[in-house]
Amino acid sequence: MRQLFSPGRVVLLLFFVAAAVLPLVVDPRGHLLRVAAMVLLFAAMAQSWNIVGGLANQISLGHAAFFGLGAYTSTLLFLKLGVSPWIGMFAGAVVAGVAAALLSIPTFRLKGHYFALATLAFAEVMRVIANSWAGLTGGPVGLSIPFMGTQPAYFAFRAVSSYYWAILGLLVFVCIVFQLLARGAIGYRLRAVRENENAAEVAGVDTFRVKLTASIISAGLTAMCGTVFAQFTFFFDPDSIFSLAGISVRMAMIAIVGGLGTLGGPIIGALFLIPLEEVANAYLSSKAAGLSQLVFGLILIAAILIQPRGIMAFWPKKRRAARAARSSVAPAQAAAKGA
Amino acid sequence: MLQALVDGLLLGGVYGVIATGLSLVFGVLGVVNFAHAEFLMLGMYVAWFAWRYLGLDPLIGSVLSFIVVFAVGYGVQRTLIQRVLKAPPAAQVFLTVGLLIVIENAALMVFGSDFRSVSVPYQVEGYRLGDIFIGAPYLYAFIAAVILAAALWLFLDRSWMGRAIRAVAQDPMAATLVGVDTGRTYGLAFGLGVALTAFGGAVILPYITVSPTIGGQFVVLMFTVVVLGGLGSVAGALAGGIMVGIVQSMSTLIFPIQLQNLCLFVIFIAVLALRPQGLIKGA
Repeated sequence: MRQLFSPGRVVLLLFFVAAAVLPLVVDPRGHLLRVAAMVLLFAAMAQSWNIVGGLANQISLGHAAFFGLGAYTSTLLFLKLGVSPWIGMFAGAVVAGVAAALLSIPTFRLKGHYFALATLAFAEVMRVIANSWAGLTGGPVGLSIPFMGTQPAYFAFRAVSSYYWAILGLLVFVCIVFQLLARGAIGYRLRAVRENENAAEVAGVDTFRVKLTASIISAGLTAMCGTVFAQFTFFFDPDSIFSLAGISVRMAMIAIVGGLGTLGGPIIGALFLIPLEEVANAYLSSKAAGLSQLVFGLILIAAILIQPRGIMAFWPKKRRAARAARSSVAPAQAAAKGA
Repeated sequence: MLQALVDGLLLGGVYGVIATGLSLVFGVLGVVNFAHAEFLMLGMYVAWFAWRYLGLDPLIGSVLSFIVVFAVGYGVQRTLIQRVLKAPPAAQVFLTVGLLIVIENAALMVFGSDFRSVSVPYQVEGYRLGDIFIGAPYLYAFIAAVILAAALWLFLDRSWMGRAIRAVAQDPMAATLVGVDTGRTYGLAFGLGVALTAFGGAVILPYITVSPTIGGQFVVLMFTVVVLGGLGSVAGALAGGIMVGIVQSMSTLIFPIQLQNLCLFVIFIAVLALRPQGLIKGA
């Protein structure tokens, strides 16, 4: 906490303030506010992913599993037992945390491609279960949340702005958790694991426990985003909520395009990508099906080839070297580290 | 029971060839190609167009699929994959995932979203062996797969190019020293890998319809096969393919059809966890 007012924090604080007053300035029923809410939600999701993907460098392609678990847990608790989604949100986080812990047992030794494959398969398992266990999940039809007007106790509002502020609150919460983890002892251990797992183990880091803690927290936060998403959109189905390209890859991509392992990365990535996609959808989807998704894929490829460290790498700062050393996507750094 | 075993074997042989391509790419380039199943889709479309406009049976059109997709794969490797060969896994994973999204949606734009199938005279025919019924399209696809697997083995074992590919897989530096152009060899290996998969896609066209999203149905299947056989092992992928084919058709005896894939996923995660080097080592 040496630099309470470092330039980065001031910018971030200004961003949050600007985001908080946005609904007062724009048309509260307009499309713009919905898009802004999606930007914040995806920033929160990407930040949750960033805890595992950025700090520990475990590339997960299956975070849609936790996102969907969050959405299903809170929605089913509400529909079947009448439990408020506010409580369901935390129940969902617990369910996802347990799932993450169970998944860690067989996958904690896996790295790189193997970890990505295992997590991808896990999300697919969830999708297949949600599709076929129709008695509980409603099957491929999906679940709808009934419209109830404004009932704050049940996370139901008439105005988009209320959801917007709830999502903003969630984003701030996720960012604080990320920063605490990154700056705290666990952050140093995670980075040690990332740079050289064997060396970290020898130095006395309980690598399994560190990774387990990170993945449970990451999964829990992702599940909370899932609940908020379900409340905000009123409807979801297995194929969209457990989607590889739509959720898992998008979360990771936002963090990577913004800057892997950095606090600002997911926010910048979401600010850049979600409106871009929205524009692409509005102007291109009428021309040909698939064109906007095609653009999405091309951006991903371009981002990897042009600047694998993301937009944050352009941040002018004296401590950029220190930041860069912590980012491990760029091969040059890895080489420099080894030298 | 025996019927399921035979069905599984016939399916599995084709899965083997499809997954061999993926395994070859990993074995030589060290890159897990998440976009691999999209080349299967491209192969199916080439064969479909060959059938529709040239009147070629998909079994013959598969040769065309092989050639066209080989060329596409060579180009993709030289322009894109080559640049991330030395990058960390994250960059490789997301480059190929990006490629997956691009190819799938490009196909959606060009071919439209409708399902296309071919009609061939032997589609509903079959052979009877005692109590066992063997569907003709399944049998022919299996035979084509076996022929291609044999040809691949001959190529890798006997030809200069094949030896160069194996040399680069073992030690790129040493291969360069003895005069192998590693860059071109990587391109050839990638082209060959996706072409094998495209061939596999073409020969199953008589019993599977093609659409731009068909790749998604094969992604996990392919990776399960490859992981079972050991990533990078060509012979392992063939054996893994047959195993997965048998597991898949056996599981339909016990589980409802929609849980068939679930069975595969569970095996997949279990194998990754217990023996990430694959059940079969070698090659």
